Amino acid sequence: MSSDDELAERLRDGDEKALRTAYDRHGAAVLYLAQRLLGNRADAEDVTQLTFVAAWTGRDTFDPGRGTMLGWLLGIARRKAVDRLRSAARDDRLTETVRAQTAPADETESPERIVDRLVVADELGRLPDEQRRTLELAFYDDLTHPQIAAVTGLPLGTVKSHIRRGMANLRRRWEVDGAAFGSRSVGPSRAL
Amino acid sequence: MQHLDPDRLVLLALSEDQQHSDESEHLAGCAGCRYDLESLREVSEIGAQTQDLRDLPPPPEHLWRAIEAEIAPAAASPGGSAAVTDLAAHRGRAHRRRSRWLAPVLAAAAAAVLAVAGTVVFDRLAGRTGGEQVLARATLAPLETVPAAAGGDVRVLADGQMRVDVRGLPLTTGFHEVWLIDPDDLTKMVAIGNLSGQPDVVLPVPVGTDLNRYRLVDVSDEPHDGDATHSGRSLLRGTLTS
Repeated sequence: MSSDDELAERLRDGDEKALRTAYDRHGAAVLYLAQRLLGNRADAEDVTQLTFVAAWTGRDTFDPGRGTMLGWLLGIARRKAVDRLRSAARDDRLTETVRAQTAPADETESPERIVDRLVVADELGRLPDEQRRTLELAFYDDLTHPQIAAVTGLPLGTVKSHIRRGMANLRRRWEVDGAAFGSRSVGPSRAL
Repeated sequence: MQHLDPDRLVLLALSEDQQHSDESEHLAGCAGCRYDLESLREVSEIGAQTQDLRDLPPPPEHLWRAIEAEIAPAAASPGGSAAVTDLAAHRGRAHRRRSRWLAPVLAAAAAAVLAVAGTVVFDRLAGRTGGEQVLARATLAPLETVPAAAGGDVRVLADGQMRVDVRGLPLTTGFHEVWLIDPDDLTKMVAIGNLSGQPDVVLPVPVGTDLNRYRLVDVSDEPHDGDATHSGRSLLRGTLTS
């Protein structure tokens, strides 16, 4: 699996296969975000198409030093989806309907939150196996450290360090790529 | 009290343990620990909501084909029946692809490209030194019936000259012509000049040509038939980007 740096390099060189790789790797997340924001499959596919075409056209603007390829693509997709909602509002004078769509009652489903979930899910998938497994047990099964140790057969100290490192990795990624992070006040931070 | 231990912060963030009173006291007075705890809490909250995102279905293949068709209009024609590129057919497909709502989005995208181009021009006027200033570039790829080794590069320079490097073009009894085509309406194009058998030529782009619109670079095989329009036999294509 080539890194974002390598993929960016190939993209910049005009290698269409690199865009295909990006599509295979991140197309599902882009489509998911678009579908959640727009509420229907046809518009979501249109926005996904626009996103990857824009990524191709603007491939020189991707800087692996500032974020990951997924974060960059989700940022483009979010803007395209918002443009789509706005122009729909202008065209159809359905402002009220659109407002209802863009400001979901459930705070956890804001566009920023969906982006956050997608980047954290992606990072979780990249963690070393044991870090990932222990975090899955903590997040999804709500198990405590001792319970995780019992389930996995790992010593408690090992579980602790996997979870601490795993959380630190997720946090770092979320701070780099997460949509909501930019709006948070930046405070002092200690490395975990 | 000392700063909270990293393992402690994780336990508190996961709500696995309650804060002790001395910890609460420290957190109240220490912005660093408070910030770390808040961040970790948020990460664990987000993490708990990722279960249904871990195995998203792969994105559909037809969507990729649509993307591919847009980024390389020349490579899009399925079947690859002949070297002849049917410009009218391309146009029809291009129009069908665009839906009503797309127009403002495309306009916005064009504005963004213009803004980039504007920056480049401004930089040049501001007296930035350096080698040749490239306003836009394109990589030329062979159409399906052209040998895969054929290709080229195009650079539009700040002085309005277009530098065209080509390689591996099939021999012709006619000549090779360079065009700038509007990918959204493939019947609209500007003839830039011919390659006169040279692998590397510099051709002037007519002043006032909108490179955001006429961004598809096309090299065609033209017979000596006295017909100044495009022969329909495209050999190489590529899209200009700034």
